[in-house]
Amino acid sequence: MAEERRGSWFGFGFCGFGQALGSGRGRQVHSPEPLQTPGEDADVCRVSASWSYTAFVTRGGRLELSGSAGCAAGGCRDAWASEALLVVLRAGPGRGAGTELQAWAPGSALSGEPLWAHTVGPEAEGEDAPGGEPQAGALPLLPGARAYVSPRPPFYSPLAPELRARRLELGAEHALLLDEAGQVFSWGQGRHGQLGHGTLEAELEPRPLEALQGVPMAEVAAGGWHSVCVSETGDIYIWGWNESGQLALPSRSLAEVGKTAAGEASGPKEDGSDVRTAEGESGGLAPFIAIQPFPALLDLPPGTDAVKASCGSRHTAVVTRTGELYTWGWGKYGQLGHEDTSSLDRPRRVEYFVDKRLQTKATKM
Amino acid sequence: MAGAGTLREALRALLPPTKEELTLQLGETVERSVVRLLREAVELFCGGRGDECLQASEAILDYSWEKLNTGPWRDVHRDWRRVYAFGCLLKAVCLCEETGDAGAVAAALRVCDMGLLMGAAILGDILTKVAAVLQAHLPSGKRPAPGPAQEQPHEKRRNLRPQDSNLLRSLSWEVVGKFRHSPSEDIAGTEWQRGNVAHPSCIFLPKARHDHVRIPDVRSERTVPRLRCPSLQHFRKHFLVPGRPVILEGVADQWPCMKKWSLEYIQDVAGCRTVPVEVGSRYTDEEWSQTLMTVNEFISKYIRDEIPELKRDISIPDYCCLGDGDEEEITINAWFGPQGTVSPLHQDPQQNFLAQVTGRKYIRLYSPQESEALYPHDTHLLHNTSQVDVENPDLEKFPKFAEAPFLSCILCPGEILFIPVKYWHYVRALDLSFSVSFWWS
Repeated sequence: MAEERRGSWFGFGFCGFGQALGSGRGRQVHSPEPLQTPGEDADVCRVSASWSYTAFVTRGGRLELSGSAGCAAGGCRDAWASEALLVVLRAGPGRGAGTELQAWAPGSALSGEPLWAHTVGPEAEGEDAPGGEPQAGALPLLPGARAYVSPRPPFYSPLAPELRARRLELGAEHALLLDEAGQVFSWGQGRHGQLGHGTLEAELEPRPLEALQGVPMAEVAAGGWHSVCVSETGDIYIWGWNESGQLALPSRSLAEVGKTAAGEASGPKEDGSDVRTAEGESGGLAPFIAIQPFPALLDLPPGTDAVKASCGSRHTAVVTRTGELYTWGWGKYGQLGHEDTSSLDRPRRVEYFVDKRLQTKATKM
Repeated sequence: MAGAGTLREALRALLPPTKEELTLQLGETVERSVVRLLREAVELFCGGRGDECLQASEAILDYSWEKLNTGPWRDVHRDWRRVYAFGCLLKAVCLCEETGDAGAVAAALRVCDMGLLMGAAILGDILTKVAAVLQAHLPSGKRPAPGPAQEQPHEKRRNLRPQDSNLLRSLSWEVVGKFRHSPSEDIAGTEWQRGNVAHPSCIFLPKARHDHVRIPDVRSERTVPRLRCPSLQHFRKHFLVPGRPVILEGVADQWPCMKKWSLEYIQDVAGCRTVPVEVGSRYTDEEWSQTLMTVNEFISKYIRDEIPELKRDISIPDYCCLGDGDEEEITINAWFGPQGTVSPLHQDPQQNFLAQVTGRKYIRLYSPQESEALYPHDTHLLHNTSQVDVENPDLEKFPKFAEAPFLSCILCPGEILFIPVKYWHYVRALDLSFSVSFWWS
């Protein structure tokens, strides 16, 4: 999402392709480092990170790709990066000529022909729904909210207009939608509980999350197999797969390496039996949770309100109203930014930004 | 014990001779960035940069693992499984490059096993060969004999026969787990456990723990008919075509008398190998790593008794030739688990011969025509599994079940039960049990 104020961008995590920091392959970055944004005074308004490359879009419409894709192009309003496809929204040749949606192979350097292209009609541009979001930064949701793109077939999917989609996020096998009224919808595969309807069944069409009805959401984010949303009052709801603690719930795999925060669980007991549960805070036994199939309210430290959430494939990041960044989940490549490679099953503040007293904004890592 | 040098040489000898051959032919599904990373990993390996190769292999494994967990397992593209196997190969070899100590070799073997479990065959099934070499460099995994501590003689490890290798690979290690009445009750806030992806069976703890095993009185129940070595025609006409269960006696007597299966043999040839253990229900295909363990761990944890040495070998019953498929299409699974292991009432999409090798099993069979009275789960994941606990049914919740007719038997060693396709079956092991099932069409 574009912001009015200028900001600086920082990156941390897997950097095997030199994708943002120009620091060579094989490196992992465990502590946040400033991104080398393209050009001087380039005002980056959108960053979209895929596994092996990152896309930057400036306010001036310049698109730069770093990492394995490495190139630059002009006339871009928005970009969305995935390993299979780079999707860009490019301004048409003249005023009123509409916007073109283009899908490129990431390695093509945007030269030659796109894999496919779709004209987004001028009527979509002209729409100005009440409380509507600025058009750039909404990918994979298209301007006009009548359709969205996906890196998997079908690449271009229509959305029912009555959904009044404000924001759309894609996971590895599911989709989340936030509408104008703050209602969350989900569809796709449900085997990891990521749809939040209380079952493991798939849904073919967007289905509203009944558990969240009546609580207007401000933000929604999708990880590989988990889902997060932030209410207008700053509460976080989270559901889906917790195999690396990405739901901030006790995770068995972390306990087995002695890292669960939920208690003293520290590996197999002497008689060989597994420690099956973790100690809860009240001293009772809290079970490990691998799958949470309906939304759970997440506890941040008292007094903190969340304003933005973002997810990697197996980790979660949240920015608070006071500009703090919390991360948790899979940390093997330093993507949590805590200067180590531990995974966490509870939120932890990224100290780098506290020390530097900076405003932050979460992006996919 | 062989030193690190010979291990390294043995492993290198298995790899393709040139860098160019240490590669995979991959289609469009695998993204270019991944192909690039694979090539780089090989470069690092051939350039002697083991640590960096290890890092690259980890990234390959982590990325492809995510692909293996996207969508239903049967839809996962084979190329992703090959990439995963390739990552396992590089990682396993790199782990042993520096040191040949038991810890590194065991870790490398575990990596190979993950590649064999979740990956697909690459480079002429190289992971099987690498695993065999690694295994040869580990101390024998025999369980210490009970009684006064004795000096363990250093015995030469026996070699695994090829047919045993396949069987061991298909072995399903079963353990009693938590009973679940229905998926919806236990979903939120409980531990989800993975089940065997290939076979949707659930393992239950018997509701009432008895000191003595409850042997059902099958005389009061309608029993499965028994036949002694029927001809192919007779079997086909009276049982295969009409879909009727039957116990075949004497068929196993015709199997070649060769090998003795025993715990000692299993531990000797496979003790240090990692296997997935079926625990709990298949309400979700949770990641494999949660219930993986070595065969030694499984045996020391769950198997209390010795299994009597078996005098029979195992072959595909001749009757399978009456089916449509090739011999290669027959799926053979071995099932090994302690007394009390229960498979809840379920149906399979293929014909099944269940050969009992050791121990007895109490089995109940319900015709597919009775499906309504068996209350199958209405979810897609479990529509071939009944909600009813057969030996302790909740008749208030499942009233029609009481009237559903069934056949039952106690299947003993040497007997083979024919379970027609889609025939509902419930199984409880009355003893430590070793069975082999043949699925065919």
